[in-house]
Amino acid sequence: MSNKPETKLTRRAFSAGVAAALAIGPARAAGKTLNVLSHKVHQTVLGSGDGDLMAGWRKANDAEIAFATFDSNPLQDRLFREASLKETEYGVGYLIDNRPTSQIAALFEPLGPYQDKDAIEDFGDIAPGLVQGMTVDGKLIGIPVRHATQGLFYNEALLEEAGITAPPATLEELIEQAKKTTFTAKAGTPVTGMVLASDLAVFPVMFARAYGGDFISPDLKLVPNREALEQGLSALRGMFEAGSLPRSYATTKNDDQVTWLQQGRAAFTVLPFARGAQLNNAEQSKFPGKIKAVPFPGSKAIEGKMPMASVVEAWAMAIPKNAKDKALAWSFIKEVSSKRVTLGMALNGNGPVRVSTYADEKLKAGNALAAVEAKVLATARGAFPPFPEAARAQATFLEEVQLAVLGRKPVKDAVSAIIERVKPMMPA
Amino acid sequence: MRAERLLIGLGKALAVAAILFWSLFPILFIAMSSLKPGQDIFAVPPKWLFTPTFKHYAELWRSWGVFFEGLLNSLLITVGATLLAIVASACAGYVYSRNSGRWLGASLLGLIVVRLIPPIVVTLPLFPIVNWLGLSDTHLVLILLYATFFVSLGTVLMRTFMDQIPRELDEAAAMDGASRLTILRKVIAPLAMPGMLAVAVFVIVFSWNEFLFAFIFTATKAKTAPLVISEMIGSIDGVDWGILFAAATVQLVPVLLFVVFMNRYLVAGLTAGSTKG
Repeated sequence: MSNKPETKLTRRAFSAGVAAALAIGPARAAGKTLNVLSHKVHQTVLGSGDGDLMAGWRKANDAEIAFATFDSNPLQDRLFREASLKETEYGVGYLIDNRPTSQIAALFEPLGPYQDKDAIEDFGDIAPGLVQGMTVDGKLIGIPVRHATQGLFYNEALLEEAGITAPPATLEELIEQAKKTTFTAKAGTPVTGMVLASDLAVFPVMFARAYGGDFISPDLKLVPNREALEQGLSALRGMFEAGSLPRSYATTKNDDQVTWLQQGRAAFTVLPFARGAQLNNAEQSKFPGKIKAVPFPGSKAIEGKMPMASVVEAWAMAIPKNAKDKALAWSFIKEVSSKRVTLGMALNGNGPVRVSTYADEKLKAGNALAAVEAKVLATARGAFPPFPEAARAQATFLEEVQLAVLGRKPVKDAVSAIIERVKPMMPA
Repeated sequence: MRAERLLIGLGKALAVAAILFWSLFPILFIAMSSLKPGQDIFAVPPKWLFTPTFKHYAELWRSWGVFFEGLLNSLLITVGATLLAIVASACAGYVYSRNSGRWLGASLLGLIVVRLIPPIVVTLPLFPIVNWLGLSDTHLVLILLYATFFVSLGTVLMRTFMDQIPRELDEAAAMDGASRLTILRKVIAPLAMPGMLAVAVFVIVFSWNEFLFAFIFTATKAKTAPLVISEMIGSIDGVDWGILFAAATVQLVPVLLFVVFMNRYLVAGLTAGSTKG
């Protein structure tokens, strides 16, 4: 063996190694690309292949659309992080309506000037309530694209078995029917009248609204009607006591609501109307075609005095202020918001934001719940308005609601605790 | 006496059965559910006897092509991170094994301390840096992160393995004119191969399943399979449990087989140096 080392790491070899390592990352696609941060469902409803609703836009703009998809909360987290950078690759981000506080809204382009310069087709046709939800500090920061409005789903077969001929028209009837349907079905399945997730504010808020109350009103008043919230929580507590809410209420999640309805383990639940297809999917459900929906009913106490305001969650398209090609992003938003694409997305299962879309015959024929949903949407509003401490306020609210429903705390004390604990979190 | 032995044996068998059930039931549940008709997955009472169907796998292939792209990305990243971690750990382990000194000892302690930092602590500050470097959504960023995360543990493992290789072999090679790198490559590395495999097992299992770094630093081009699976648990359009369980099974099987196959190296890694001295 010579005295010379056998192996030498030369600069050239090192550079080649680094270059090879860098080459492991995929090469950037050539041409114009619009990067979009969204949920997979937003991509899916735009269609693909022959049903691609954006094919014309791609051709006209010589651009490709690259979707980066995440589930709702991770998506919002990623979007805000991207928008906080000096520059982002993403031109369009999908935003949930209860997230944009003043600080968050400041990360996105005010879209008023874009609308003035190059307007969206018949903008007035987009539900004004949804547009209002995306207007922060007087600035429009997102164009509504999808909504999920909550309805009351029921299993028609189980209702019939319990001798009920029509779904409930008032909250009192719902409570009564939930009790009646807490039984063992002919098939041997133990049925719980109603299944609700305990980790979402939607449900206690709906019960409070059924009595004319709320958790936080749109003008940021905390518990605007104490008595109504107490009545709502007492109703839930009564259902739990009667066994018409699951014993596992404290650990019940949103996905349980779907599987319990599909399996005939519960007769009622509250879910967005868009879930109707999944609940009746013959591949998954033991009751295909038997799971129907009606508007969530208000109490007799508010009948004729005020409409029942169901909870709606809406999504909108926004342009991060640090996006590179804002003109291309606006062009995409314009196209997705057009009447043609809105209808196409609705036929693919999207909750349409245009009032006129609900009048379309094809939609009416394809979606039995469209008319009910349109009616509910007219008076629906978000579970609570956005504010910086909203997430913590919701968690505190839910903690007290659970204690009340499970009987660990008297309802009155729980409502007092909600007011006392959430008050410091409210904006001044 | 015989009855007592029998009882002890029975107790042991029951304990093993309980542990096996505890460990294997979740895996069996996932695999079985992936083969059940959708209606039967959450049937009450549960259906243990059913006609298996592969339609969830077919649907996974049809509607979640991105999952298979994710698997390919996971594979590329896992292989890259493993090779890098092994090379770096072997080199560092060799240095720590053959040299000593106060600063070197302190740096080894530093490596261990770094390993104790929760990943989330370094992840968020890294986000703008990775973006600035243009590494966001590349395979390279995950390869570097995964390898970096395991170099400390790998180094300690490799040092322990290399400590067991007689220094006389290094000295003999050096007298023949071999450089440090040649000694490491041609003398030490072949003998330390079990240690390298042990490091590989740790890095592979970690890289294949990792979620947090992949979630923060990738979006489309380098998106890994666990990230796609998390998307299947969608909060908007509901979960198709059959497809989700099929994807989980596909994701699980390679690493499960790998761990079973490499079991003895994993044990070797965990017990390295335990009988020294």
